[in-house]
Amino acid sequence: MSLQVVIDGLVAGAMIGLGAIGVTLTYSILRFANFAHGEFIAWGAYFALAVSGFLGVLAPSLATPIGPFSFGWSLPIAALGAIALTAALALLVDALLFGPLRAKGGAIIILVMASFGAALTLRNLLEFIFTSRPAYYAEGLQIALRFGGVRATPDALLCLGVAAIVVVAMRFLIAKTAIGRAMRATSENPQLAGLAGVDIRKIVRIVWILGAGLAAIAGIMVGLLVQIRPTMGLDLLLPLFAAAILGGIGSAPGALLGGLIVGLAESITVRLIGAEWRAAVAFVILVAILLLRPSGLFGRPE
Amino acid sequence: MTAQALETRALVAGYERDLPIVRGVDLNVRAGEFVVLLGPNGAGKSTLVKAIAGLVPIHAGAVLINGEDSTFSPPHQKIRRGLAFVPQTENVFATLTIEENLRLAADILPNNVRARRIDELYAMFPDLAARPSRRAGQLSGGQRQMLAAARALIVAPSLLILDEPSAGLSPKIAAEVFARLQAINATGVTIVLVEQNVKAALAVASRAVILVEGEARHEGSAAELADDPIVAELYLGAAKAGA
Repeated sequence: MSLQVVIDGLVAGAMIGLGAIGVTLTYSILRFANFAHGEFIAWGAYFALAVSGFLGVLAPSLATPIGPFSFGWSLPIAALGAIALTAALALLVDALLFGPLRAKGGAIIILVMASFGAALTLRNLLEFIFTSRPAYYAEGLQIALRFGGVRATPDALLCLGVAAIVVVAMRFLIAKTAIGRAMRATSENPQLAGLAGVDIRKIVRIVWILGAGLAAIAGIMVGLLVQIRPTMGLDLLLPLFAAAILGGIGSAPGALLGGLIVGLAESITVRLIGAEWRAAVAFVILVAILLLRPSGLFGRPE
Repeated sequence: MTAQALETRALVAGYERDLPIVRGVDLNVRAGEFVVLLGPNGAGKSTLVKAIAGLVPIHAGAVLINGEDSTFSPPHQKIRRGLAFVPQTENVFATLTIEENLRLAADILPNNVRARRIDELYAMFPDLAARPSRRAGQLSGGQRQMLAAARALIVAPSLLILDEPSAGLSPKIAAEVFARLQAINATGVTIVLVEQNVKAALAVASRAVILVEGEARHEGSAAELADDPIVAELYLGAAKAGA
């Protein structure tokens, strides 16, 4: 196995892992599998596209590539806007759909089915607004850097770095801060968390904001390294859930590690068997982990 | 006139609207009192205190905590109004350490008093101070009850409600728990206790209220009720058996 396969797998895995952190957070606090999470990834990518395009028109100098990267300052600035807008979208979906269902004491299966409905609506809305034509943050080709026998574009290396920083920040937030303590307590026992003074509704909002924000970052990475399409979230859904369950529900570092493992497995499969089998890898991993260790690598047994 | 720490007015509560477990309970607890709620199994004692804490839906009536209407307030708001509630089971966060359990509860306090309050609670419960990084899930039953009580007390509540704190404990540890509750009450904290261990509860409480089929049927001083043969025969079979 060449080192190139490992690098390609890590880059793909970082994108999957960031999305999976959002899945694992919403699953552990809200206690349902949100199948609309992939759409937050796609909406995050499109929000960044729209804002960076607007900034590029407003100030063309912002579109000039920064150093070795393929994009100008318009994209990092747009990324901040996309994170905020995707978080707002997630809060809106919660206020209109999931919140009322929770208030009625809806069964988990109803929330899951509602998330399917939300996913369909959000995906079709994207296609309606932006069409199904693929889009890109930058049109120019980027030359890969060589490190011995391994090649990687500066954009890909940047994405790896950003993923590493984000996961360290998330780990700190969850393990060391008052918000993280409250999130862990709510995940274990929401009623007792309320009795300990935790405002559960506030924690739910924070989880949506964090999950959607991370989804937006993942979406921007996918858009930067692959392409932007309305179905990009749907394509990532299975790897996201495979990574979240492999890492153990509720564990942010576990989700990133799960993402890296899924990404590496996909990369190895593409090299050894063929690209048409890439999608099957996440499914095989998901089934295997559910059969062998349902609590995942870092999860706690139910 | 002594202030009311807790008041329920014709409270109707239960998990299902059509099947209320608490049926029109009027309860008045004065500040500084130690009141025990007694009654046979299924009388609605636990449901009543859970409804007061905001854990069980209230369908009619009112709950006032320190004079403030808290009928439909979520639990975290009731905590800020001076209430602390210790459930019978699952009353600590098993995956969090002892320190994290206490810090979580202390997070609603002002920054400058959090560390001091945690130290005070460690002084009150030295067993907890010995290994603060131990996960709560690894503690014994008695230690868990101590941690649950410490977590509740850290915000210096004016009203402490406990749901069967002696359940599952050895008689020696249960006696320690009751002694601690008496000491806490002596500092001015109002206590409402749900308890099956009737004899021990009446020994430490100042007043008792007896619930039967979701209604408050009798009340009186703990001494009166302990000596009342009719009440004992009707509702407190456990007291006689345990006497």
